[in-house]
Amino acid sequence: MPSFLGGLLGPPLRSAIFAGKFLAFTHLFLEYGYSTAPAHGPSMLPTFEVLGEWLLVSRRYSFGRGVEIGDLIAYNIPVNDGVGVKRLLGLPGDYVLVDTPGNSDNAMIQVPQGHCWIVGDNLPASRDSRIFGPVPLALIRGKVIGRIKPFRFQWIENPLKRVEGP
Amino acid sequence: MSTKNFLGQFTGHLIRYATWLPPLIWFNTYVAQVTLINGPSMYPYLNPQYHESLRRDLCLVYKLYAQLDLERGMLVTFRNPYDPEKITVKRIIGLEGDVVRARPPFPHEYIEVPQGHIWVEGDGEKSKDSNYYGPISVRLITGRITHILSPLNRAGRVKWWEHPSHRAGI
Repeated sequence: MPSFLGGLLGPPLRSAIFAGKFLAFTHLFLEYGYSTAPAHGPSMLPTFEVLGEWLLVSRRYSFGRGVEIGDLIAYNIPVNDGVGVKRLLGLPGDYVLVDTPGNSDNAMIQVPQGHCWIVGDNLPASRDSRIFGPVPLALIRGKVIGRIKPFRFQWIENPLKRVEGP
Repeated sequence: MSTKNFLGQFTGHLIRYATWLPPLIWFNTYVAQVTLINGPSMYPYLNPQYHESLRRDLCLVYKLYAQLDLERGMLVTFRNPYDPEKITVKRIIGLEGDVVRARPPFPHEYIEVPQGHIWVEGDGEKSKDSNYYGPISVRLITGRITHILSPLNRAGRVKWWEHPSHRAGI
């Protein structure tokens, strides 16, 4: 056995501690650095396909730190234990349509403090804030910054452009 | 010992100690954490002397599987829905499906707690709880308060099952 492996495997306790430290460091990276989220389901068509894509998520934006309208965000679904990806359409204080556009009386509500309004790109096939209401910013896991297809990577940017005032 | 030698050893020790930080953070996130309680919202159960002294209660927050098997009466810590950077302590009053009698300023008198949500209230009068922001999602919960560590005369397990709301179930 090569000597460096011998040092790594060394006494059992020391190698167990090393493995534990390494796992904890990985956790730190996934929690505060970058992690992935699945893009399953039809709710984000045509931005993401139904199957076969994974997303790169920046955890710097977790708990809604510095998110902007138009960002794709990964969030903990408030009504079950899954993770979803949707588009951010309203921040605290904004007025948003409660229902699908043109579907009912176009009632609007103001997003309460500490909450956001998130909607899927494929309106008929998405369960989002139109169903479970405003989502607490604390449930945001991070911002989607890239798309991982098999053998291909693509950065994702906010499609909205800030317009300069007159 | 030369200065260079000393600095070298010092950095070596620092790095060796720093490798224990990730396991410590992991432990505090997923297993248990010791925390001080701020404010009067759980008066008189926690911080009973908040108006007499600056001393705050020291509590053990148990975080392993904190979102599973919730029961009425438990003390939970969660990220405040109105302020994501703030962790709040409240008592569970209603679970998913329960009909809870709300107090002002909540707009309705009765409310059925929706799927995946709980109704939380503070024990004290000065409490901004579900009566302010409505039922909260279970996903916001970060831990449960299981033990009071300090002051010593009240130290011990939190007997949440003795609270009347545990048997309430309207």
